[in-house]
Amino acid sequence: MKKIYLIAALALIAAVAIIISASKDVTTYGTYASAADKNSRVKIAGQIDRDFDIEYDPINSPSAFSFTMKDSEGVSKKVILKIPKPQDFETSETVVVTGKMEEDTFVATDVQMKCPSKYKDEELKIRSEASLSM
Amino acid sequence: MIQEIQYIGEHLLPGYIGQFCVVLSFVAALFSAWAYRCATRHNSESWGRLGKTSFGVHGLSTFTIIGTLFYIMLKQYYEYAYVQAHVNEELPMRYIFSAFWEGQEGSFLLWMFWHIILGFILIRKAGEWHHSVMIFVALIQAVLASMLLGVHINLGDFTYKLGSNPTLLLRDVMDIPLFQNADYVAQIKGTGLNALLQNYWMTIHPPTLFLGFASTTIPFAYAAAGLYTGKATEWLRTAMKWSLFSAGILGVGILMGSAWAYEALSFGGYWAWDPVENMSLVPWIILVAGVHTNLIANATGRAIRSTYIYYCLCFVGVLYSTYLTRSGILGDTSAHAFTEMGLEPQLIFMVLFFFLLSAILYIAKSRLIPVIKKEESIYSREFWMFIGALVLLFSGTIISGSTSLPVLNALINLKDPDFIGTVISDPIPHFNKFQIWIAVLVTALSGSAIFFRYKTQEYSKNQKLGYATKMFVHLVIAGVLTFLLSLWIDYFHWKYLVMAFAAWFAVTSNVHYIFKVAKNNPRVASAAISHIGFAVMIIGILTSGLNQDVLTTNPFAMRGIQDDEDLASVVTLIKEEPLYVNNHWITYESDTIVDKTRTFKIKFEREDSLRGNVDPYYVYPNVLFSNDLSKVAANNPGTKHLLSKDIFTTIAALPPAQQDVKLAKEEEDSLKYRQYIMSIGDTVFTKQHYGVLEEISFSPTNKDYLQHENDLGISARLRFKSLDGKYNEVAEPAIGVRENLLYQYHDQLNDLRVKLKLNEESFDNYFNTEDQLKYETYVMKKGDKVDYGGEEYLLMGFDNQITNQHYEAEANDIAVQAILRDTKGEQLRPTYVIREGQPFNLKDYAQRPGIHARLVHINPQSEEFTFALAQDDRSKGEIIVELAEDVTRNDVIVLEALVFPGINLFWAGSIMMLLGFFVSLLSRRKK
Repeated sequence: MKKIYLIAALALIAAVAIIISASKDVTTYGTYASAADKNSRVKIAGQIDRDFDIEYDPINSPSAFSFTMKDSEGVSKKVILKIPKPQDFETSETVVVTGKMEEDTFVATDVQMKCPSKYKDEELKIRSEASLSM
Repeated sequence: MIQEIQYIGEHLLPGYIGQFCVVLSFVAALFSAWAYRCATRHNSESWGRLGKTSFGVHGLSTFTIIGTLFYIMLKQYYEYAYVQAHVNEELPMRYIFSAFWEGQEGSFLLWMFWHIILGFILIRKAGEWHHSVMIFVALIQAVLASMLLGVHINLGDFTYKLGSNPTLLLRDVMDIPLFQNADYVAQIKGTGLNALLQNYWMTIHPPTLFLGFASTTIPFAYAAAGLYTGKATEWLRTAMKWSLFSAGILGVGILMGSAWAYEALSFGGYWAWDPVENMSLVPWIILVAGVHTNLIANATGRAIRSTYIYYCLCFVGVLYSTYLTRSGILGDTSAHAFTEMGLEPQLIFMVLFFFLLSAILYIAKSRLIPVIKKEESIYSREFWMFIGALVLLFSGTIISGSTSLPVLNALINLKDPDFIGTVISDPIPHFNKFQIWIAVLVTALSGSAIFFRYKTQEYSKNQKLGYATKMFVHLVIAGVLTFLLSLWIDYFHWKYLVMAFAAWFAVTSNVHYIFKVAKNNPRVASAAISHIGFAVMIIGILTSGLNQDVLTTNPFAMRGIQDDEDLASVVTLIKEEPLYVNNHWITYESDTIVDKTRTFKIKFEREDSLRGNVDPYYVYPNVLFSNDLSKVAANNPGTKHLLSKDIFTTIAALPPAQQDVKLAKEEEDSLKYRQYIMSIGDTVFTKQHYGVLEEISFSPTNKDYLQHENDLGISARLRFKSLDGKYNEVAEPAIGVRENLLYQYHDQLNDLRVKLKLNEESFDNYFNTEDQLKYETYVMKKGDKVDYGGEEYLLMGFDNQITNQHYEAEANDIAVQAILRDTKGEQLRPTYVIREGQPFNLKDYAQRPGIHARLVHINPQSEEFTFALAQDDRSKGEIIVELAEDVTRNDVIVLEALVFPGINLFWAGSIMMLLGFFVSLLSRRKK
């Protein structure tokens, strides 16, 4: 039985080491304000602010584009994303960007897009209202 | 609206059948489980027959639901919510299966389908285990069937929706004003299958994966039945075969998913540690651990408890992964979009029910499992296999721990609503850094333990020396191979060197084992085959993943000055202009649109200092438009497969106007067109160039213009030149009328950044309306000729077959069509009709000369025919050209090209690993 205790002890040590190591890999969904305080990589979930244009110039700078995003506190700031603009970016509403604050812009290297899940229903609703008004 | 609306055009019968069968399927499965329980407890054949019959009823009713659902999808009955959501007119029939399991309900049905097939096999083949094993199969079927019930339960003010029925009507699931309309059915259209899912992977990957998931039930059911009946060891041998089958199939299913991601999706790799991927991998890892302890149990009678635990964990893991991916709890952390359906409580119930069932059985009955008191020797194979299984369990625990972070957040949120959840900031490095060591441990163990034998207690000095020598030789060979590999790839960090070394060690040791020990015994060899496969897969990950390289780095970016992350991974290509990057010439040659797919043809050539451009090859990445063609919905990679590497390309971006009809319109509206009224020979000037109107044509030559019969079209040819004469290109803007709609065909000169179109008023200069025409009449006999409008027309004869498109035949019509032919062979066919005693005529029109012809009178006695001819007034000879400058180029693409060296090692290794399971299974079946 001794060996199994030894293995259990080793596994326990490994588990503790992994948890300590993994705890550095996590972050919280922040805001522009918390990102400015932290000065490290954070994730911000927000909504694309449609009052401003999504700017992308594939000819001169294909590997970055910018847009304006409203964070959960309602603050709108410019976000520069250092990837080519994903094809379906315009259709998404909520996006999660990973990056850092640099002065007054948020410079991100990664984005996750969430397309509105009720999109299909909405479309049907609009179509049906149009058909009634006819 | 107090009155019930009588809807028109609904097909209600399939819905009634579906709803009846859903309830029947659930009740029959539940009853089957109960009957089998009684049969097992009382050892009663009559209960057993009841169980079997009701499982049969359950199977038939489930097949009926599947059949009904297929029927309404094939018939496109959009009044059904599931049909509306997953089918549309344009959906090709070959994707009907994909559409079927695109939704949650359909994929539950697919899962149940496999359980039923496996259940039928068990009923026939399981013999004495039939009753006890089927308890658990019927139970999981009852729980799954409850997901489809779609029953609303009223608890006071609160209504709980139990399950979601795929055969419900749209108006039952949604409350919108449309349903006040009695003939709403005629007005709805289907949404159709997501464009991303319209490929053959979506047809083959889900059924395989779900067969894998469903088959994990069987080892679990055997383990649970073993404890329940008290036959605590007898279940192991049969369970072994099922778990080999399951590990093989589930593995193939997962691998197909990763091949799909790599081949057809733009994830840029075959594994992204996405939660959905992780949670199908974890049950597989646990199952493989179970296979190992099952082998130990068969050979030595040890590790039976562990085998029970692994099989239960694997099965509950499948259920847990179902919960994670379908409840919506993963939220933003997954790229896989699963919509929420309010099934969360039911899914939690499912996981907890089977977890507690396994745990309670274990607590109550595990004392029946014989335990060997004496400890395993470190010279025995079972000891190291047991450790290996623990390593796998550890791996699965780490992966599911990190993936479950959203669950942890939700749990903390229950207590503390203000808690802001945490997420893993960069998942790929996070998962990699732990799994590297799992790979090292697994390969090291598989390489060193394979030479031990079961039940060995002690090694003599000689044996120890022999073993040590063998290992030493393999370590040396592995060292050499690791060094040789470094000539091809970089290790970057010592830990990857260790990983390669361990993998090579496993390869050499297991190859040795096959030749020395297994020889012609496939059952003994199967383990080594799988181990070699795994090790080769690990080497493939090092070559293709770690050494993945970007071919399209920006040639002008200065390394060292910019941050690494600022180095662009994409380049902009202009059509027909070769670009030099990283020793390669890349040319975007052309693109074509077929249906919803725009495919780009891109040429790669390597530059060789001596031989010029060598090894040309083409890649064909494409972009996929949404079902309504209004925007780009997805981009699919184009990959060149070479033996030693893949070149993987995707269209990273297109100019906005090329991506979205709305943006194209915005851009068009922002252009400032200048108008020029031009005659042939007139000149327009742009900043550096001038253009001369060379020709006005009535059969337009614009590249986008497709001539249909009865279309009217006009195009202008303008030749643009630079002042120095170096530039010389032609632009051909056009306009056309088809069925009373006017279409503009722009032309763009990208190098001049000039766009041209024709003003619609140009049309009036060439095509006259009826009231502007001045008809002249001519009386002719067959064979007569007439000169009109610069043409000579011959009255060839007559035809009773009326080809005029405006003519619709009615009974008792007398109709005749004259054939007038000009010297070029073009025909005019005016038509004369007598309907109900009233004569009238239909004109024909020749577009090129602009001649209108009518047959206005027929004199039967003299066989004389009176024609009225008129010609468009084209004397103005002018055309209105509109020209805009500073137009954005539309002939550019943004391309990303990645190199995956040795990716074939990854595929070959994974396939070999899975092959080992099937070899093992087949060799056991023969016995």
